Formats: sequence, C-alpha cells, structure tokens
Amino acid sequence: MSIIEVKHLTKEYQLGHIASLKETALNGLRLLTGKGTHKKEPFKALDDVHFSIEEGEVVGIIGHNGAGKSTLLKHLANISKPTKGQVIVRGNVAPLIEVGAGVSPELTGRENIFLNAAILGIPKKTIMQKLDEIIDFAEIEEFIDTPVKRYSSGMTVKLGFSIATSMDADILIVDEVLAVGDLAFQRKCFDRMESLIKKQGKTVLLVSHNIRQVEHLCSRVLLMDHGHLLMDGDPKTVCNQFYSLSERQIKNTQDSNSKLRQNVLSSNDIDLVSIEAFDGQGLATSSVQYFEDVEFRLTFNVKNRLPKPVFGFGFHTTDMLYLATMQSINALECEELMPGTHQVQFKVSRFPFLPGIYSIRIGVVLGEFFHPVFYAENLFPIQVTAPNISRSINSGSNEGFIGLDVTWSLIS
Amino acid sequence: MLQVAKNIYQYRELISELAWKNIIVRYKQSYLGIVWAVLKPLMLMLIFTLVRSFVGIETGDIPYPVLTFAALIPWVFFQESTSEGVISVTSNAPLIKKIYFPREVFPLTAMATKLVELVISLAILAIMMAYYHLLPSIYALWIPAIIAYAMIVALTISFFGAALNVYYRDIAQALPVGLSLLMYGSPVMYPLALVHKKLIVEQAAGEWSNTLYTIYTLNPLAGIIDSFQRVLFKNLPPDFNALYPGAILIVAILPFSYLFFKRAENWFADVI
Repeated sequence: MSIIEVKHLTKEYQLGHIASLKETALNGLRLLTGKGTHKKEPFKALDDVHFSIEEGEVVGIIGHNGAGKSTLLKHLANISKPTKGQVIVRGNVAPLIEVGAGVSPELTGRENIFLNAAILGIPKKTIMQKLDEIIDFAEIEEFIDTPVKRYSSGMTVKLGFSIATSMDADILIVDEVLAVGDLAFQRKCFDRMESLIKKQGKTVLLVSHNIRQVEHLCSRVLLMDHGHLLMDGDPKTVCNQFYSLSERQIKNTQDSNSKLRQNVLSSNDIDLVSIEAFDGQGLATSSVQYFEDVEFRLTFNVKNRLPKPVFGFGFHTTDMLYLATMQSINALECEELMPGTHQVQFKVSRFPFLPGIYSIRIGVVLGEFFHPVFYAENLFPIQVTAPNISRSINSGSNEGFIGLDVTWSLIS
Repeated sequence: MLQVAKNIYQYRELISELAWKNIIVRYKQSYLGIVWAVLKPLMLMLIFTLVRSFVGIETGDIPYPVLTFAALIPWVFFQESTSEGVISVTSNAPLIKKIYFPREVFPLTAMATKLVELVISLAILAIMMAYYHLLPSIYALWIPAIIAYAMIVALTISFFGAALNVYYRDIAQALPVGLSLLMYGSPVMYPLALVHKKLIVEQAAGEWSNTLYTIYTLNPLAGIIDSFQRVLFKNLPPDFNALYPGAILIVAILPFSYLFFKRAENWFADVI
C-alpha cells in the first residue's frame, strides 16, 4: 500500500480580500431573497494533481515560482485542506517547511529545543536523550542558554534544522531547507539528509530550486507547472524537461524585449534588419545543437556609404557575461559598402557552448580609427540543446559555458 | 467532546510547553515579572473598596476587600482566558501556516497560561484571609471544580470567538467591550445575595422578579463567583439554584461552539 496517495487534488483560492462582514451580510440577504450571490473567480493553485508515493521513495518536486509546490506540501502536511479530491498519508509526517517556524526569539536555545520538539510532537523523553546531539549538530554549545533573539540568523536556522531532523518520522517533507547557513553547515545538512534517505530508508519529499541537488538525491521527480502535474518520472528526464521549460520562458521574454530594440546604438548610417540562424543542413532554426555547425546571416540596410567596415559578432549569457567576440578585421575583405541591403554570413563550426540560453551582440566600426556606427547587444536569443547529456551535470551556471573537444583515455 | 479530552491528553506536553513559553515571553524582561499578573485584580479590588465607601453596598459580615477579591479571582481568570483564547489562533499565524496539530491547542494553551496566574492570585487571597482571620471551610474542596467549570465557560466563548476572529478581526476588538459590560452584570462588585434579596425576597420588580433572577443567573459567572465566595467564607456548598441556568446554557452551546471551531479549522491556514 502506498504511503502517500494524492487523488485528483484541486485547491482553489479566492483572489483578493476575503468577503467583508458587510458583503457576507448582503450575500446572505441575496440568498434569502433567492437572488444569486456575487462570486469572485477562484484561482486554482492545484489542478487535478494525482499521484502516489511508495514507502522509501525519495521524491523531488520542482517547478517555477507559483507552480503549486508549496501548496502541495501544505496538503501533505495536513495544513491546508483540499477543495476537491483526497490526500491520504499513512504515517507521521515531519514537516521541515521552513525550519524555525516555531522558534521563539525570547526563549533560550535550550528552551526552544524543548518547545519545538513539543510542536513537532517529539516526546520529552526522546528529546532529553537527543539533547546533546542536537546542540552538537547545531554548533551552538556556548550560546545554548542565550535567548535566540541574540543569535545570528544562521545560528537560528541551524538550531531549527537540527531539531527538525532529530524527529523520528516516517515521512520527511523538506521545503528549500538545505540552503541554510554557511557552506560547511550546508554540507552537514546535506550529509544528514543523505543518511536519512539512504541509510534509514525514510520517505522524503523535497522541494528545491536547486535542480542539481534534486537530481542527485531523488529517485523520482515531479514537475509542477501552474498547478498541474506536468511530468512524473526519473530525475534525468524530468530535470531536462524543466530546463528546456525555463529556457523557453527566458527566450519568450527576450523575444519580446528584442523587439523593443532599446539596446541599439546607431549613427543611423546603417541598420540591422534581421538575424537568422541556420543549422548544418541549411534550415532556419532558433536552437543550436551542441557541437554541431551553425551559420548566422545578418541583414543590414546601409543608408550612407561606409568605408572600410569591420563587423564584430559576439556571444553573451543572459546575465550579460561576454563569452566570445569575433571580428571581421583581416578576415573579411571589404573596401566600402554602398547604400542598399547587404548580408553578412558568419559560420561557427562545432558550436562550443554548453546547453543553455545565449544571446548575440553585434557591432560595426569604420575605417582605420574604428569609428563606431552600430552597436547592439542582447539581440537574438539562441538556445543550445544537447539531447544526450544530463543537463544538471552540464548546465551553464555550474560547470562553465564552453565545451572542449577532448579525448579521454586510461593508461595503466 | 470526548475528542477534546483525548486531544488534551495527547497534546499535554505541547500545551504545557506553549504555556510555559507564553509566561516566559511575557515576563522575562520585566523587573516585576509575574507580579504584573496579579496587579489587575488587586487594583480593581482597591477601586471597588473605594467606590463602596461612597455608595454603600450590603455585603454581610465578611470584610469587603477580601470578598470582592474572591469575586475578582474567578472573574479575571475568566475574562483574561477568554480574551487570550479568542486571539490565540490569529496570534499564532506563523505556526498555523507551517505545521499541523489540532488547533484547539491554542485556546487551551491560553487557558493554561492563565491558570498559572490564577494560582498566584489564590496565594494572595490566602494571605488576605489570614490577615482577616478567615478560615476556609471543608467546602473549599469545591474550588478546583468551580475553576474547571469557569474554564469550560471560557472555552465555549473562545472556540467560537477564535474561529470567527480568523475571518473577522472585529471579534477581538468587540470582545473586551462586551466583557467589561458583563462584569457589571456579574456579582463582582456586589454579592449575588444582594440580587437574590432584591428580586426573590423583596420582589422588587413585581411579577417579573423571578424571571429576572433566572435571566441574571443565565450568566454562568453569577453562579461561579457566588459559589467561590460561599465555599470559602460562608461554610456552605455551592448554590445550585444559581448555577443551573448558566450550566444548561453552556452545555447547550459548547458542542456547537466546538464543532464550529473544528469546521473552520480546515481553512485557518488559507485565510489567516
């Protein structure tokens, strides 16, 4: 029998304020007189979510902000009740939803241990036995009899985490808690989570924006989007799907941004009409395969005669880190450009950037003195994809941006 | 109702920890500490004694300060635990949003906190009685039962008020007004014997007198305060004629109040 069953769970919220006393009274009157009441359109935080979890499974829940992850956890922890559907949890739950919820600033660390243990339902006897272990883990021996209000925020969170994980529950619900404290403590938290999962075989639900962590810890991942359960499957597939989902989102916002052309500096002698990308087969595309050939075609509209133009073409990340710049000087022979439409072709063999979203910047300078006539960045979003590598391992922000053409061998 | 008792037992550690936290938080950084808890009944006693020296209230042969203090102990206990109980859910919003346990723990905790203050007031009463050479009778053994009844009355209001206060904060604003009015409708400043004498013996309101007395005793506090004084000073058991109208009212309302609370509980985390 599954330890957690979620059956067609739907949760609706009323948007805006709850009805005032006056409105309630008026609605009551309308009901009595047989007229319809004014109903506001409800907001579906969860829409027909259906899944079940077996004992010992470690399930990650990922999705964008507002996808319904925390709402789902609240239902599993019995804090919220479903509008429609059913949630069955067989076993006791340790909710680590934001650790330190019950920490009272006026009490000392020791008093808080007892209070929070009581809140989590840990018997006093158990906590007496584990007291030293908790204090030790939280690294606050010397401050244990100081009121928590004098603690640093890191110390408070450490205390909260070590109390919560000392609970002997069947199911652990973790919402972004691993991002607590300094790096050394994060490592400790991570190790403790890992031992809870791997050695003690607990059922764990983990919500995190750290996709790497989810892929590393979990045996199964749920992807939520706008209240729907979009995907449910093995970590690699679901995480990759999540990456392309978020990249599409970035691209969409960029597409609408680039139309504004706010970032173009031009002397009005020359205008950029379009940028197109073509793959190895010569087909127009907006996504580039990692380590495949790609060709860019820039169409310019020249209004005045331009002597000795030099073109610059560069790539940068969405957060404006310049990755590469190529210039046509000594590579493209061009004495002058006459008014009219011109196309510049730019070919990259074995496109080296790792999967992710990148953007293009373009500049045009004139003559010996590199007099600038056109410069624009953030122009054209390109999505780099690679179907056969795990995105969490090779994602831009964690492992750099550039892939090298290497050969591995083992000499023994 | 059995469920409440079961929950109280199961969550007794949580209730005591939370109550302990309340007490520490309230008095930790104050110089006088828990003495503040008894200041309210003491001040009211002084004021009432002063007022009585102008208006003259018939109180029998028991010294007025100790008589009115004995009335103020259950009254202040009831008043404070009700008003704390009503705001107990809203003031614990962070906990309600983060973790589940039966929400009646909050009103119960408010009550447990006030019990500690009640014990201190009782100690002061004992000192006053010693000063006036008054000895409690064997009927003083009724006191725990009377306090328990006062708690049930306070809970009846707290459950309903606390749940409603989550939706409409007006409740917490209106309650102190209602409670201070109720004090004048309860035998705090004057003894119940005086009301009894006017209405039952002298029939001061004509044919309405007996009905009026029943209406007066529908207020459970009338019976509670009177019984408290009787068992302490008058060497008499509680007067059940003064107790039963209020008790019937409470027994009739409590289940609905509790069910209302349990129903509303499902949406606390969403609305609060």
